[in-house]
Amino acid sequence: MGQGRFTGVGVGLRRPHLEQVAGREDHGVPFWETCPENVIGEGGRFHRMTRAILEREPILTHGLAMSVGGFDPWDEAYLQDLGEFILHSGTPWHSEHLCFTSVDGSCLHELLPIPFTREALRHTITRVRGLQSRLPVPLLLENITYYAELGNAEMDEADFVSAVLEGADVGWLLDVNNVYVNALNFGFDPKEWLSRMPLERVAQLHIAGHRKFGDLTIDTHGADVIDPVIDLMQWTLARLGRPVPVLLERDNHIPALDALLAERARLQRAYDAALALCEVRHA
Amino acid sequence: MHESRTLRLQRAMGALVLDGDETAIEADPGRVARRHDLPGADQRAFRDQVLGMLTYRELARASLIEPLETMFPVLKALLDGTESWEPCVQAFLDARMVRSSQYRDIAAAFLGWLATSRWGLERWPFLLELAHAEILETLVARFPDSDPIEGLHPDPGPADFVVLDPATQVVTYTHAVHRACVEAPSPEPRPTHLLAFRDEAGLARLMELTAATAALLVRAQSQPLAEAAAALDIPDPAELTRLLQDLRREGAIAGFQATPPFTS
Repeated sequence: MGQGRFTGVGVGLRRPHLEQVAGREDHGVPFWETCPENVIGEGGRFHRMTRAILEREPILTHGLAMSVGGFDPWDEAYLQDLGEFILHSGTPWHSEHLCFTSVDGSCLHELLPIPFTREALRHTITRVRGLQSRLPVPLLLENITYYAELGNAEMDEADFVSAVLEGADVGWLLDVNNVYVNALNFGFDPKEWLSRMPLERVAQLHIAGHRKFGDLTIDTHGADVIDPVIDLMQWTLARLGRPVPVLLERDNHIPALDALLAERARLQRAYDAALALCEVRHA
Repeated sequence: MHESRTLRLQRAMGALVLDGDETAIEADPGRVARRHDLPGADQRAFRDQVLGMLTYRELARASLIEPLETMFPVLKALLDGTESWEPCVQAFLDARMVRSSQYRDIAAAFLGWLATSRWGLERWPFLLELAHAEILETLVARFPDSDPIEGLHPDPGPADFVVLDPATQVVTYTHAVHRACVEAPSPEPRPTHLLAFRDEAGLARLMELTAATAALLVRAQSQPLAEAAAALDIPDPAELTRLLQDLRREGAIAGFQATPPFTS
């Protein structure tokens, strides 16, 4: 999968920052990620600013609501619009979440876990292949946070995610914060978990903040990234030994743009340090 | 026909999220798995992971309900006054009317459900108008952009038809719902005519119209201006021309043309 100009730490483009980002090019962000659902079929002032940014900046696309593991028929009209948007954006791939979001046509607007069962695995692989065949660029699937297994599991998450990626032959958007949060909630070692995974399929990383509520940690995207998650990102980059792009997600308690850019710069330094260490090892 | 276990598990999760019987679900999340004929091991998984399952209920319901609370604050204030907001929202969730995967469509789906179900209209006859008025500016602000309409001229002539900007809406309410607020959510019963449009900067604006102007803007889209003005007893053509020119400059009207806009 050609990554070309997509290296370093990018930022998710969010509405509160549109005006400022549209008005300045000295932000230092190597690329942005946008959610097509928030652009396709929109109009007005914010839409025009988004479009202006997308025309100017390197962009990756990341879907929010596709029911990849669900049973509802694909929205073919939306997929047509999505395909055109993807081609226009120049993104080298498009990512969706490995989850289901709707049932019997009713959209639940939450990333819900697919059962870790053999039947669900076969169904999901078929669905992912169908979705990939409708997209003009390679599809990446993102591992989600989950707070409960749906039904009686027949395998663990690592086996399920690996089998979907291999069975459908798609790339992996590895969210290291999601791995970290799941490790906290289910009591496993995140590095051991990653060591079992098909890391050669990783084309992009996501990183974000989370928050503990009582006995459960929630993937809030509403806080700064903590050091253990940055360490996990560096560990992953070292294992990969190649400069896959990392994307900082912030969806709640969104700070001022300058604060977010400072957070990005902090992650960029960690990213550069991890890759420099790789180069030393390979020299 | 045999339904897959995966589908039944997903349906059970949908019920866990959307069903209204909070106390019973909290006491035993396994009941939704039982209701969907899932095996005992799956029922146990729902029951044994009570914290995680209820977290999903909380997160998904927040995703569905927060846009309603954000978009309909006055309606919420009105219904909160009689502890009716939560039953209203639950009735909406029970109807399973959120069919779009786009987050921005949740509020519009709620409005559509209010219109078709007629929920609360017996008690609050202005309820649907109030909800519509609350999202009118957002609908106009986010109306999909389109290419400029070609062949229009900027100044209206007596034989011309009015071509509204595609985002513009002329609405008539029986109550002054646009004046209602969280502190005073019950609107005055007064016929109200509004023009909602997008200005040059792409921002939504709201303008109160006289009944005659509102009627003219509707009628003159399919009838030449002079005829429409005469039918509505609008006497001063010069004043009318100035008004229409102003509305074109402000963005509500795209322009004027010699043929009806819907037939050209």
